[in-house]
Amino acid sequence: MRRWLGKDVLRDSTLLFAIAAIWIFFQVTTDGTFLTQRNLVLLALQTSIVSLAAISAVMLIVTRNFDLSVGSAVALVGVVVAVLTVKHDAPPALAVAAALAAGVAMGAWQGLWVTKMGVSSFIVTLAGMLYFRGISMVATDGSTIAPLPDSLADLATGFMAPGRAIALAAAALAVLAAFQVAGARRARALGVVERVGPAVARSFLPFAIGAAAFSWLASRQGIPYLVLLVAGAAIAAEIVMRRTPFGVQLYAIGGNPEAARLSGIRVGRVVFIDFLIAGLAYGVTGVALTARVGGAVAGSAGLFLELDAISAAIIGGTSLTGGRGRVFGALVGALLMGSLNNGMSLMNVPTFYQETARGAVLLLAVAADQLRRRRGAR
Amino acid sequence: MTPSPLLTATGIVKRFPGVLALDRLDLTIHEGEIVALLGQNGAGKSTIMQILAGVHAHGSYEGTITMRGRPFTAATVGQARAQGIALVAQEVNVVGELSVAENMSLGAEPTRLGFLDGAARLARARAALAAFDVDVDPRAPMASLDLATQQLVSIAAALYKEGRLLDLLILDEPTAALTDKEAQRLFERVRALKERGVSCIFVSHRLAEVFTIADRVVVMRDGRAAGAWPARPDTRDEVVRAMLGGALGDEQRGTSAAPAPDDVALEVRGLVVRDAGGARRPLVDGLDLGVAKGEILGLFGLLGAGCNEAALALFGAWEGPVAGRVRVEGEEVRLRRPADAVARGIGLVAQDRRQSLVHEHTVAENIVMASLRDVTRRGFLDVAAMRRRAADYVSRLAIKVPSVDALVGTLSGGNQQKVQVARWLASGARILLLVDPTRGIDVGTRHEINALWRQLAADGHALLLVSSEAEELVDVCDRVLVLRNGALAGEIGRADLDEERLLRMAAGV
Repeated sequence: MRRWLGKDVLRDSTLLFAIAAIWIFFQVTTDGTFLTQRNLVLLALQTSIVSLAAISAVMLIVTRNFDLSVGSAVALVGVVVAVLTVKHDAPPALAVAAALAAGVAMGAWQGLWVTKMGVSSFIVTLAGMLYFRGISMVATDGSTIAPLPDSLADLATGFMAPGRAIALAAAALAVLAAFQVAGARRARALGVVERVGPAVARSFLPFAIGAAAFSWLASRQGIPYLVLLVAGAAIAAEIVMRRTPFGVQLYAIGGNPEAARLSGIRVGRVVFIDFLIAGLAYGVTGVALTARVGGAVAGSAGLFLELDAISAAIIGGTSLTGGRGRVFGALVGALLMGSLNNGMSLMNVPTFYQETARGAVLLLAVAADQLRRRRGAR
Repeated sequence: MTPSPLLTATGIVKRFPGVLALDRLDLTIHEGEIVALLGQNGAGKSTIMQILAGVHAHGSYEGTITMRGRPFTAATVGQARAQGIALVAQEVNVVGELSVAENMSLGAEPTRLGFLDGAARLARARAALAAFDVDVDPRAPMASLDLATQQLVSIAAALYKEGRLLDLLILDEPTAALTDKEAQRLFERVRALKERGVSCIFVSHRLAEVFTIADRVVVMRDGRAAGAWPARPDTRDEVVRAMLGGALGDEQRGTSAAPAPDDVALEVRGLVVRDAGGARRPLVDGLDLGVAKGEILGLFGLLGAGCNEAALALFGAWEGPVAGRVRVEGEEVRLRRPADAVARGIGLVAQDRRQSLVHEHTVAENIVMASLRDVTRRGFLDVAAMRRRAADYVSRLAIKVPSVDALVGTLSGGNQQKVQVARWLASGARILLLVDPTRGIDVGTRHEINALWRQLAADGHALLLVSSEAEELVDVCDRVLVLRNGALAGEIGRADLDEERLLRMAAGV
C-alpha cells in the first residue's frame, strides 16, 4: 500500500487517522451529536477563517518567512469594509474592492521592508501586528462598527443549495479528471510514464473521496458560501504552488536560497510577490471575518489568528526551516484544531481547558512529525 | 626492526539498508605509521573510519578489531577517544563566536566543584596547541582565524582532548579546503606526531600529496581492501590502476581543434572586483580575458589571487563592487545579478554543490530550475515536459540516478556536479563558468567530468575553468591565464602547459 499511495499521501493520511480518532472520540462522548451533517457544516464554517489565513501562512513559511501580522491586518481590512459601508453608505462591491486593495497594499508594504531593506520578516510582521492593530483602534476609536448591509452579511451566513453544491462538486471533479487524463496522456506521449490508468487513478482517488464527502455534507442544508470560498482559495493556492514556475521557485528559495539565487531566480522579487499574495489573503480573510461577525471590532477581530494559522500549517506538515509544506495539509491541520474546539464545546469543556489542549496537540503533532522524519531518513 | 601493529581489523562487514558498505575488510595499522586510504566514492572509506572512531557502535558490524592486542569495543565517539582513536571530519565545525579554548573543550569542559574551570580550560588548550605546534592565542575568537588554522586547531583539540596524546588520528580529506602551502603545514605536523609514536589514517583525493606524506597506501574498492603498497613513486601507477579497478582507458589528453579566434563568446576588459567592505586593495585589479566558442580557458592562481572572485563577478554573483566592460558574443552587457547572466546564456557550476543545488528537490526540479519558462505552458508548469527534459539530460550526461524523481541530496558528488551542468545546458547556456568543479570528487569520476568539458567545448560552448589544482587544468585546458595578486601574471598555451610551470608562474618564482 505504501508503494501504491506514495510517501506524501501516507504522511497526509497519518494526520487523517489522527482526525478520525478524535472524531470517533467526540462522537462517543457527545452521544452522536458530533458527526451529524449539521455539526460538521458548522465545524467547516468555524474553521474557515483560520483556513484562509493558514493557506497564506504555508506560502510564506515555505520560503522561510513568517507572518505575525495577519490577525491585525485582517482587523484593519475589516475596519475599511465597515467604515465604507456603514459610515459612508458605499456599495458593498466597492467596499470589498477597497478592502482587497488595502490588503494588497499592506502586503506590499511589508514585502518592501523584507526584500528591499533586508529586515527579517519576523520583525517586520511583528511590528505590523502592533501598528495595524493600533491604526484600527485609532480609526474606529475602539468602538464596534455595525451592522453591515445584508448583502455583505449574506456572504458569511448564506448557503448554496444542496443540488447546486453537489453539481458544483461534480463539475469540479470532472474538470480535474479531464486535466489529469490530459496530463497523463502527455506524459505518456513524452515517454515519462508507461500507463495512463494507474497514474490518474492514484492522484484522482483522494479528490473523488473529498468530493463524495462534500456532497454528503451538502445534501442536507447545502454548503456555506464561506466554505466554498475556502475550497476555492485552497485549490487556487495549490495550483500556484505545485503547477507554476512561481511555486517551484518558492520551494527552491526555502530549500536553499543561495542555490535559488545562483540559478538565476530573482529571490527578492519572488518573495515580494509572495507578500503581495499574503496581502490579497488579508483582504479576502478580512472581508470574510467581518461578514461573519457582522461588523468591525478593531480590538478583538482576528486576535491570535497568526498563531492559529501558523499552528495549522505546522501540524499540516509545513517545515519551519522552509522548502516543505502543502496547502491541503494546512487545511487538515486547521480542521484538526477546529475539531478539538468544536468537540470540547459540545462536551461543555471550559475555554481555558480548550486552549491548553490545543497547545498540547500542536506540540505532539510536531514531535510526531520529527520522529517520523528521523525514521524516514535512516 | 618491524614496528608492532597498533590496530588490526579483521573481516569487517557493515551493512546499511540496501547497501553492503564493508565486505570482509582487513586492515592493519602499525605504531607511528601514516596510512593513506584511497578509493572511489562509495568504496567504504568513510564507513571504516567511522567504525574506528566509534560513530558506528560495536555490535552494529561484524568482524573483530583489536587495539594493542586488546579487543576494541567502542560504542560511542567518547569511548573510542578514551581508547586512543579520534576522527577529525572533513568539514571544520566550529562555533565562530566562542574562543579557541572554548571550542577546543566543547562538550568536555573542565569543572571544579561543579563550576566551569576557565583556567584549566585555557591551560589545556595551550598544551594541546603547543603539542601540535599551532601558534594561536587560545583566547582569540575562533572566527578570527582562517579556515586552515581553524582546522589545525580542531585537530589539536581532538589529539589532546583526553589530556594525553591519542594513539591513532583519523583525518577525512584534511586537505580538501586547503591550499598547497597550508597542506604542507599540516603534513609537517603529522610527521612530527609520527616521531612521537602517533599513527595516522587519512583520506585524500590528491595523489601527489598522498605519495609525499604517507608510509603506506591502502586502496579500497567495493568495501574491501584491494591492496596495499608502500608509498613510493614507482608504485603510483599500480595504485591508480587498483583504484579504478582496471577500468581506466589510456590517459586522454585533450586534442581540441584550434578555436577560431574571431569567434569570441565572452570578452572582459579591465575587470576590477572589490571586497564588499570596499576600502582595501581590489581582489581583481584590471583583468582582461576572452574565451572563444569551443575553447576551454583555464584560470589559475594561489589562494587570494582573485580567480574565484573574477568568475563570480562575471556571473553577477559577487556581493561587492565590480567594474569593467563585459561583452557577450560581441554585445556589451551589464551583469548585476545572476539573473542577468543567465538571461545572457552564462551558467555557473560552483565548487560548493550544497550551495547550488536544492537537496530536498528532485533531480528533475533541479535541472529545470534555470529554465522554468521553457517547461511552462500557458502559465502552468508542464510536469510531463519537465520530467522529459530532465530525462534527456540525465541520459546525455550519463548521470547515474534511479529516476529523475530521485532527490538530489541522495546523489554522489560527481553526479550532483553533472546535475548542475545539466541545469545550464537545459537553460541554453553557451558560456559555462566552472569554479573548482571537481573538488572532493574521486579520481575516476574526475576523468569522466574532464571528458565532459571537452565534449561541451567540441559542441561549441565556451568554458572558463577556475581550478586550484594545476593537474586538472593541464588535463583539459587549451590555454591557461595565471593570476597573481589580482592581476594577470602570464599566459601558457596548450603546448607548454605543465604543472610546474603553472605553479612557478602563480608563485612568481
